[in-house]
Amino acid sequence: MTLHQVSFTVNGKKVSVEVEPRQTLADVLRGQLGLTGTHLGCEHGVCGACTIIVNGEPARGCLMLGVQAEGAEILTVEGASPDEGLSLIQEALREFHGLQCGFCTPGMVMALHHLFSVNTSPTEEEIKEAISGQLCRCTGYQGIVNAAKAVAQRLQAQQ
Amino acid sequence: MTIGARIPRVEDARFLRGEGRYVADLAMPFMVEAYVLRSPYPHAIIRSIDASEALKLEGVEAVFTAADVPADLGPIVCRIPTHGDLSPYLQHPLAQDRVRYVGEPIAVIVAKSRAICEDAAELVEIDFDPLPAITSPYRAIEPNAEPIHEAGNLAGDWGFDLGNVEEALKSAAYTVQESFSVQRHTAMPMETRGLLASYDRGRNLLEVHGATKVVHTNRNMLAGMLGMSEQDIRLVEPDVGGSFGARGEFYPEDFLIPFAAKRLCKPVRWIEDRVEHFGAINHSRDSDFVVTVAADENGIITAFDVKLVTDMGGYIRTHGDVVPSHAAACFPGPYKVRNYRINTKTVMTNKTPTGTYRAPGMFEANFARERAIDRLADKMGLERAELRRRNLIPAEMMPWHVGTESVKRPTIFDSGDYPAVFEKALAGYGWDAPFEREENGWLRGRGLCAFVEPSGLGAFEGVRLEVDQRGNVTIFSGSSNQGQGHETVLAQIVSSIIDVPVEKIAVRHGDTGIITFGGGTYASRTAVLCGEALYNASHGIRDKALKTASAKFNIPVEELELREGAVWQAGKNEPLITLGGIARILMPGNPEFLKPPSDKNIPDHDGLVVTSYIRGVPGGTWAFAVHIADVLVDPRTGETKVEKYFVACDVGRQLNPLIVEGQLIGGVAQGLGGTFLEELTYSEDGQLTTGTFADYMMPNVYNMPPVSTLVLEDVKPEGNVLGVKGVGEIGPSGVAAAIGNAIADALKSNTGLNILPFTPERVLSAVPTVTR
Amino acid sequence: MKPAPFEYFAPRTLDEALDLLESEGSEARVIAGGQSLVPMLALRLARPEVLIDLNRIPELSRIRQEGSTIHIGAMTRQAHALASSLVFEQLPLLHYGLQNVGHPPTRARGTLGGSLSHADPAAETPAVMLAYKADMVLKSKQGERIIPADEFTLGTFDTAIEPGEILAEIRVQAKPNEGAALVELSRRKGDFAMASAAARVSLAADGTCAEAHLIVGAVAPVPLRFDAVTDALKGQKFSEAVVREALELMDLELFEFDNEDISLEYRRKIGPVMAERALLQAFKRAEGMQK
Repeated sequence: MTLHQVSFTVNGKKVSVEVEPRQTLADVLRGQLGLTGTHLGCEHGVCGACTIIVNGEPARGCLMLGVQAEGAEILTVEGASPDEGLSLIQEALREFHGLQCGFCTPGMVMALHHLFSVNTSPTEEEIKEAISGQLCRCTGYQGIVNAAKAVAQRLQAQQ
Repeated sequence: MTIGARIPRVEDARFLRGEGRYVADLAMPFMVEAYVLRSPYPHAIIRSIDASEALKLEGVEAVFTAADVPADLGPIVCRIPTHGDLSPYLQHPLAQDRVRYVGEPIAVIVAKSRAICEDAAELVEIDFDPLPAITSPYRAIEPNAEPIHEAGNLAGDWGFDLGNVEEALKSAAYTVQESFSVQRHTAMPMETRGLLASYDRGRNLLEVHGATKVVHTNRNMLAGMLGMSEQDIRLVEPDVGGSFGARGEFYPEDFLIPFAAKRLCKPVRWIEDRVEHFGAINHSRDSDFVVTVAADENGIITAFDVKLVTDMGGYIRTHGDVVPSHAAACFPGPYKVRNYRINTKTVMTNKTPTGTYRAPGMFEANFARERAIDRLADKMGLERAELRRRNLIPAEMMPWHVGTESVKRPTIFDSGDYPAVFEKALAGYGWDAPFEREENGWLRGRGLCAFVEPSGLGAFEGVRLEVDQRGNVTIFSGSSNQGQGHETVLAQIVSSIIDVPVEKIAVRHGDTGIITFGGGTYASRTAVLCGEALYNASHGIRDKALKTASAKFNIPVEELELREGAVWQAGKNEPLITLGGIARILMPGNPEFLKPPSDKNIPDHDGLVVTSYIRGVPGGTWAFAVHIADVLVDPRTGETKVEKYFVACDVGRQLNPLIVEGQLIGGVAQGLGGTFLEELTYSEDGQLTTGTFADYMMPNVYNMPPVSTLVLEDVKPEGNVLGVKGVGEIGPSGVAAAIGNAIADALKSNTGLNILPFTPERVLSAVPTVTR
Repeated sequence: MKPAPFEYFAPRTLDEALDLLESEGSEARVIAGGQSLVPMLALRLARPEVLIDLNRIPELSRIRQEGSTIHIGAMTRQAHALASSLVFEQLPLLHYGLQNVGHPPTRARGTLGGSLSHADPAAETPAVMLAYKADMVLKSKQGERIIPADEFTLGTFDTAIEPGEILAEIRVQAKPNEGAALVELSRRKGDFAMASAAARVSLAADGTCAEAHLIVGAVAPVPLRFDAVTDALKGQKFSEAVVREALELMDLELFEFDNEDISLEYRRKIGPVMAERALLQAFKRAEGMQK
């Protein structure tokens, strides 16, 4: 099995890693780059816990191969968090109790991060669609949707 | 006072930033990965296992089979009392000569990476002699059925017979008999299980990360199985991605991974994958009821006569028969019915073994009872809330002894004013408010259910509370945390008593290395038991601080008070000494307060530290709850849309309303999953056919209706000092019942809606022919 | 759940990809968006020895209009097509169909060609392409074959793609000014359907149906076309009653799937309901365009 040297940017930093073709991008991020905030809940692309942003688009980290990341710009939950404290999205999720066990949370944060990066005033339906591929077993989603609605309101108020 | 404050959780920041540390995020130098090779057959004799080719693969360290574990190693024992002797049905960590379900561990492969383990697994040659698989409990107890265990397939046949059911049935004005089926489904936390075990051979110390729920119990079981001292093993709970009852029991892997680490003297990590999880984690529910309910002409329910069959799967695990046991003990619910009879059969089949899932036995029993009561109301022509109203246990009859027991604990509903909560629930929802029966061809219905949910079970709980010399407080808790919010609510309890802000109070939990004994987390017990231990410990800290200040400054205790993290003398504007200062002078060896002896040793202080254990009321404390829902149904397709959902309950006292609400809403989501979507189905030949997230469907955001809650604090239980009742299981417990009743109401149907989950096809089959 | 080992190539041109496909032989497999293939790799249900990645071939991911023909590169992302105004205006049924495909992160990676080549009977895109009578352009070292949609999907996970061939492009006749709808019944939105219906309706000046197409998916190995129904609707103004009457002509014998949890009998009940909803919604949208 040939090893591939793969270079890409993750959270603004250039990295270069040697990977087997069969390694998923999520495994590379977690196992070789120590970015363990990207969680693996199913490894078959349904739960959404591994959702990251690749070249500005949301993607399942478990459904991309590490070798496919060559040249890509990747953002993970670590990169979507401010140096200290919480982002507007993260703060709202806390305030509205949009998390319990925290396992789906990084994927949820990234899905919402992408939503608000393309749409600062999403409707409730747009919020639901944005997180429709993210499974949460704890919250029943109500706190998450309420948090996202609050983010939308706060972004509007800022403008 | 921060008890009762609606404050966001202190633990959230790390999860939101991706800084949670779950077991798969942990690693150690020279660590190797383990993989559990599992049976592809539901029932087979293992003739031989040949791992020689696998062992030749580069990177493979070891392959362990049953031949490698000590010959005298017994099966994994059941940790709670059962109905009758279930020891013939216990599971060994590795299959010995026979497998009894798809997913049963046969070997452990250890290699440099998980991928290599999986490559090696394909090279292990196992010669199986397949046996007929039994997937139906009814088939299993037929006389000619293939015995799955030597003791036979009927593991338990027991029940209760209270009052005079025969007489009540004979003299009843109305009886209804219905069959109900609750499908096999389970907790399915978002994080799969995992363990990282390391062994220090020189000092004979074993450390296992990834344990959760009942770490002390599991540590003790592991010590027994490995022949080690309990104190030489440390089990540590990392951040945990949900449990809901299934995760954290003592599973085969909880022996196998530490065993492998000990044998190899290397850190061994096993991270379960989702497909493994489906076949390996305890399944749950899987119960069928035949319910006869009788009533007199005034709508007084005079008897419940029940038959219960529970499919236990291939083995009895650590939970024993607690699921049918709870269902049988609590079946009569919140109604004053003295004639109650149940026969329970627990049956072995060739499926994954079963255990608890949030509201074990209760979700099932509530569904069967509350659907039957609606049928009875319809038959009598009595309004459905009115029938319940006439039968609720009145406040003056509290505590109510049902007369049954479960896991050797009597079923006693300790407190509550059920009729009052019931009326508040109806009013809060607007039960009587008229509504449009039809909308664009879809039919609308409204349903409710009432039930009682136990909490605070388990013998004991303990904490140690420590204050350091900077005034920081640390709670060392014997209970564990899988996402419920204990780091916040436990801190709130302490904060309210010693007046230190929550931010200065850390909670450490789920670690046998930090506290000698611990009960763990199950049965919605932490607020009730750990809460009281913490309440006592906090008062202990307070008393110790005041007494110390009194002695140090020569001021009577009565003139001192503890607030804002310091001791104050009444009427003074400056504090006498901070809590940190007290902690410092109470440190052993500190000369400021206790002077060093001049001639011979004296006893020293032991710090501003208090340990407190609490022995719980065996029956726990029970919360009464009402669920109500409006549901739209398309009579042409069987599609459903839950428009709104409502939960009302009296929990005595809320520690943090934000968290209480979160538990209720999240619980409803799981209940809806069990009502509409989730099912662990088996093919006739014993293969699990819903073994990925693509076919085991959990609710996504589109499956959730708006959920509102009415949380009452009307009647405080007297059994615990905080006056709290656990809320973890009120959310899911009544969902199938309320939804089934609402759909039946929409369809004006008196058939069907007895089998879960309510697939569109099943709902459609309940549509009366005239409506179609 | 780690894939079995394989070698990996990321060609930069279609020719390079076709060369690789030929030289690596039958153990090679192309990967498009990977939203179906990577789970199969992880489950070791698919175990190619060589993976040829089409993600770095820009020529495969363009949507362009030439005359009345829309050319959709097979590697066009589902999300890209969903957001495309050209698609929305010229191929509205594709737009509505894609709304039902997966979720934002899977649509962002998943491609149209990947979904069509995967040929899941419950997938939306094969039904959409059948409704449009689209042409599939298959490329190989030997040249090009153009296969009409009704000959492309052959069965469950089975297409007309031969070894050595890659689905390069989908060609569809632009259909502006018509109403379209794709309706499905699934237990959880975004998951595969128990039955789906795709409808296209264009109206004459008098508001009656000039042309209509109806496809029902997820009930048989391939999506089913019901021309008898749509023929009966020609010249009519749609109402619930009119559509229901026409749907009496739906040949339910063509439905095949019969599973323990979704019976054939049930699919035969909901198929016509989905068709009715799709036709009425498409008609309504067509009316909206006339106004």
